[in-house]
Amino acid sequence: MQLDTKQRITELSIKELLVTQQLNTKPQVVERLAVADDVRELLPDSGLVRGRIVRCSGDAGLSLALSLCSLATQQGSWLGVVGVDHLGLLAAVEHGVALERTVLVHPPKTSREWSITVAAAIEGLDLLIVAVPERLSVNDARRVQTRLQSRRAVMIIVDNTVLSQSRSMNGSNEAQQFLADVVLDTKTKSWSGVDKGAGYLQHRDVRIRVSGRRVARERNYLVTRSC
Amino acid sequence: MPAPRRLAVLRCLDWSAVVAAKNSTTPCAVIHAQRVISRTPAALRYGVQVGMRRRHAQALCPDIEIVAHQPSRDRTAFDAVVRVVNELVPLIEVSEPGLIVFAARGPSRYMGGDGPMALKIVEALKTSVADSRLTALLVGVGVADSRLAAQIASHASAMASSSANLFVPYVVEPDKTNEWLAPQSVRVLGEFASINRETISLLERLGLNALRDVCALSESVLAGRFGELGVELHRLSRGDEQYPLAVVPHPPEHLCIEKFDEPVSDQQIIINSVQRMAVAFTEYYSVHGSVCVRIVISFESEAGKRSERLWYRPQGLTTSAIIENAKWQLEAWLASQLASDISGDPESHALENHALENYGLVRVQLIADEVRTDTAQQLRLWGGSTQTDETATQAISRLSELLGSSAVQVAKWQGGRDVLDSYELVSATHAQTIGSASSHEQVPAHKWRGALPNPSPSVVYSEPIQVQINDQFGKLLSVSARHELSASPVVVIIGATHYKVNSWAGPWPVEERWWDSARSRRLVRLQLVCEKITVDSASQILAMLAILEHGEWTVAAIYS
Repeated sequence: MQLDTKQRITELSIKELLVTQQLNTKPQVVERLAVADDVRELLPDSGLVRGRIVRCSGDAGLSLALSLCSLATQQGSWLGVVGVDHLGLLAAVEHGVALERTVLVHPPKTSREWSITVAAAIEGLDLLIVAVPERLSVNDARRVQTRLQSRRAVMIIVDNTVLSQSRSMNGSNEAQQFLADVVLDTKTKSWSGVDKGAGYLQHRDVRIRVSGRRVARERNYLVTRSC
Repeated sequence: MPAPRRLAVLRCLDWSAVVAAKNSTTPCAVIHAQRVISRTPAALRYGVQVGMRRRHAQALCPDIEIVAHQPSRDRTAFDAVVRVVNELVPLIEVSEPGLIVFAARGPSRYMGGDGPMALKIVEALKTSVADSRLTALLVGVGVADSRLAAQIASHASAMASSSANLFVPYVVEPDKTNEWLAPQSVRVLGEFASINRETISLLERLGLNALRDVCALSESVLAGRFGELGVELHRLSRGDEQYPLAVVPHPPEHLCIEKFDEPVSDQQIIINSVQRMAVAFTEYYSVHGSVCVRIVISFESEAGKRSERLWYRPQGLTTSAIIENAKWQLEAWLASQLASDISGDPESHALENHALENYGLVRVQLIADEVRTDTAQQLRLWGGSTQTDETATQAISRLSELLGSSAVQVAKWQGGRDVLDSYELVSATHAQTIGSASSHEQVPAHKWRGALPNPSPSVVYSEPIQVQINDQFGKLLSVSARHELSASPVVVIIGATHYKVNSWAGPWPVEERWWDSARSRRLVRLQLVCEKITVDSASQILAMLAILEHGEWTVAAIYS
């Protein structure tokens, strides 16, 4: 009798072990959204991994974010631009973003309402470009991040360009409510094409620093962007 | 054969401006997206017209009061007018603040004719509206067989009343609408039937200046040239409704009536039930290949009081449009109930319980009034073919409900040489087709003449920021009549920050629409690359697009 119970218990525990082992083995393929050729090498996984946060800071941040989203929207993903005031739509088209699958959302800048809006947007849209309000609380940020991971969407954080502010435009001084997986910090080095009245703005040299949780080593790139 | 009907339109001229102005004598203009959308008669005297840019209006009249556009303000103020009219006419349609449409046959017979009916309504309006701003309101009433004719008539009545200083209704004889419409210019189609300006100007250039010219062409010719729009133009010009009505059997009762066993006073529950009904309602009609154009939303309270109002959208009512209209109607009704209860009952705490009881709703009903066939260009619920599109459109409609339809927008190609004008933002609920490539078919392969070359700036300010651009002597930069800069730009001052100019391109002059005094523009564009030394001695490069218009420099866009 005792041996039987012991045997049954051992059998049960072996079964449990097998079941938990099955649950633990996850598929090795990482699901990601495709990214255009000219920006692919910047991202550590050569694509936008679903459920992750990318931050594009600096003075070329918004155009870099648009470049990152372009191929995905052409292939059928929907893009939501939340809280970004003053987006240039013609620029988005030039980057290749499919405007027929783009929505612009203007939520209030309070912490709770912003997080509710972003959570609702995550439900149906694969890709989001957001500008984070200053007063976002840590709890709301965490809630949004969890929702992002469970819904397998991608969020790209940009800064709202504000002129006439004495502090520097790159976000290194600002509190980071979101823990970004990849941070692309941009800095325009020079513009070419204009000279004392002649020509027009054509290209710029941008230094892009890639860092973040998912990046093993910080790397610097100097790229020439035509936007 | 549907019974011929008479429509009456009551129009309050320049409603947005009249409500926004502080008093009736100051000139005031309401601005939306940099253009004047409404102005008071006082502003008109200075030459300010609808469609003008803000700076142009300010240049004409420096004392003008500029107010931002706020649809909610217009709507709540208009509720007072609506209440007065509602007491005399049971079923009315409020398409936009400032305009009331209703069927004229019943009230006219009751009040002894179209003219007496109009006089009676306006008299009731003038006596009950005690607000000082609204005493100078210009009201016109037009009665005719078709919607377009009634609108034109109401406008004519308002103009006639203002010049004669007493109210003059305009009645078009029954069955004479066709003849009456014939000599009208095609511009009325743009003003009153929301046909876009480009089509109207094209008609004029083709030699069709009056509606009788449009009628003279056959429907097939117009359809061949303009497509679906051509058929609409022909219908409007001969005095029919813009869209042919379809006869569809009414949906079964369980789809459009909801009765509550317990009176419900929670607005959210009511709106949820309206949502369920609206979805089923639109589905029913779409299955029959049609879409509802005009709908009656009816609420009945426990005390037996009813609120019934017509809602109209020529393109067809979508689910979200029905829900939004129901919300407005409910808010307006509750506000009016509160107002009447307060005035009626002197005791205040008995009032609260009494009022809450009376607000409980027991019945909500949707009744279709006019239905039209669903054409191929229109999607009844928007959204598309793939599962991704479906989930996305659901998320969009959820966001529209959360934030209101004006906070969720999609881009629509408009065309223009200004970076601001090329794409227009329309609210997602009013966009006819979403997720289809057809809305972007019109994007041309090459740019407009005079448009800025690629790359386009990624940050475009809807309200350009004022700046100062100085030369090396500290003098403000100007541009001569030969489009030459007075000196080289050296420093750009934005607020308190000084930027050093490294290089620039331009100036590029633009002169637009010199023939249209309201929309003409003369400006000069300059691209600037500036540098700022920040506190930690890092240099920051900034490329911007600056515009000189009416003697002022502004930053319109940043290349971010």
